Amino acid sequence: MSLIIHKVGILDTIQHFGMKGLQSKGIRPGGVMDQFSASIANALVGNKLNEDLLEIHFPACEIIFTKSCLISIVGANFTAKLNEKYLPINRPILIPTNGKLQFVAPKSGRIVYIAIQGGLLGQGRLIKNSDIEFKKKPKLTTTSLHIFPWSADVDWRKYSPEIHVIQGREWERLNEESQRKFCCKPFKLSHHADRMGYRLQHDPFHTRTKEEIISSAVNFGTIQLLPNGQTIVLMADHQTTGGYPRIAHVISADLSKLAQKSPGEDVVFHLTDQETAEKEWIAQQKHIRQIQNISQLKLDEFFQKNSNQL
Amino acid sequence: MIEENRKGYEIYTLGDSAITIEFGKFISPETNDHVIARFKQFQENPINGVLDLIPSYHSLTLCYDLSFVAKQKMGLNSLIDQVKSRLEEPMQLLPNSSKLHEIPVVYGGKNGSDLIRVSQEKGIDLHEIIRLHAEPTYRVYMLGFIPGFAYLGELDLKLTMPRKSSPQPMIPGSIGIAGLQTGIYPSFSPGGWNIIGHTHYPLLNNGLPILQAGDLVKFIPKNQL
Repeated sequence: MSLIIHKVGILDTIQHFGMKGLQSKGIRPGGVMDQFSASIANALVGNKLNEDLLEIHFPACEIIFTKSCLISIVGANFTAKLNEKYLPINRPILIPTNGKLQFVAPKSGRIVYIAIQGGLLGQGRLIKNSDIEFKKKPKLTTTSLHIFPWSADVDWRKYSPEIHVIQGREWERLNEESQRKFCCKPFKLSHHADRMGYRLQHDPFHTRTKEEIISSAVNFGTIQLLPNGQTIVLMADHQTTGGYPRIAHVISADLSKLAQKSPGEDVVFHLTDQETAEKEWIAQQKHIRQIQNISQLKLDEFFQKNSNQL
Repeated sequence: MIEENRKGYEIYTLGDSAITIEFGKFISPETNDHVIARFKQFQENPINGVLDLIPSYHSLTLCYDLSFVAKQKMGLNSLIDQVKSRLEEPMQLLPNSSKLHEIPVVYGGKNGSDLIRVSQEKGIDLHEIIRLHAEPTYRVYMLGFIPGFAYLGELDLKLTMPRKSSPQPMIPGSIGIAGLQTGIYPSFSPGGWNIIGHTHYPLLNNGLPILQAGDLVKFIPKNQL
């Protein structure tokens, strides 16, 4: 036993980074909603970037660490506290044995990632009132809380409503006025938003044709036009295929930013192209790898100085 | 958007991390045979960087590793060139698996709550709707949407209905119709099809689908209205 879930949250899971290769059987890839934050969380504790970790929504679970371990909290700011002491986000933190982690107030964002050095067992599982095991024995243990003096630069996705999209197969079905409105008009994110999809609030869009389309594949970020003129952006737990018109797709580099938007927040779509989408993605991955390299250096240095007990 | 018409197929992008090859514009067993044959070809001899394949009625989607593809000299075009040259290779049409599933159905009632509305909107009486739905032997054209959801075709033209304007919660075994398609929801999920009946036929075995693309399905009405 390594972690005890003291109080259950609403939608907390042990997440992986998407299971690929089973979509031909209708099995969705799933995985983390905000890959950027989840990767940074792993980088901060010296894990491989796609190690399994906790994905937490608000109201969040309360966790008691029965073993001391190195963690990081990245993504939304839910005001984390350990035994009543405030914890910073985006930093490595050594948690002492019997530390009790709580999230008391959501300040910004919508999803928190907690990475634990070495990873967790129980991939894909919804977190219930039970225990969770570490994959590996912690490298370093402590009897008192230790917050490391460095933090990750996550400014990459600093707040802005702009989300870049590529035209979808059925884009041309939208009439001219709806095409104009789709780009550059702010839409509010609806309360109907979960790991499967985020719905948007806007006046109904109109199409040139009502012709039904033949069901085929959809993707994380696909924006479907529902028959009532409303739209939904498919998220990590999206279905594999669908029959609603696919008017656009959010570029991969902006999915993390979109995932962190809360109901009522504005989203503004901007059309872009494949080449830009590729460049943005590469730049984002480079940023993550830089953080990973620096983190690893600093952690190694720290571990050398403090062999196994702080 | 990338178009290619010359060879009888089109390739289009599905966001920045997938491309879809469309082999035809309509639902037909021939086009679907084509899709399944190409799916097997890409599955047995994978292209570098391709992570997942999604066959459908008339198309095959390749999901790729964006980091890998973006680093190629020509970006996505490098992948598309490889796909095109693969499509030049002759395909092996496989003998159809002729497994027939006889699926008992209770039409209408609480678990077939759209039957009456379909009847009213189509101006066809309930018995005739059941007869038209249960008469054909359907082909499983594809699996998708959620694990084990089999898309069956083709539905009689007289039963064509639009999807509901907004998805609604479905229970396992719900039998729905939409466009020229019919299908069975294998688990709890939101869905937009018109639900006309319900079955207890097993659809999943340890989370994996029992119906396979290419299988045949016959609905057996179990109740009298």
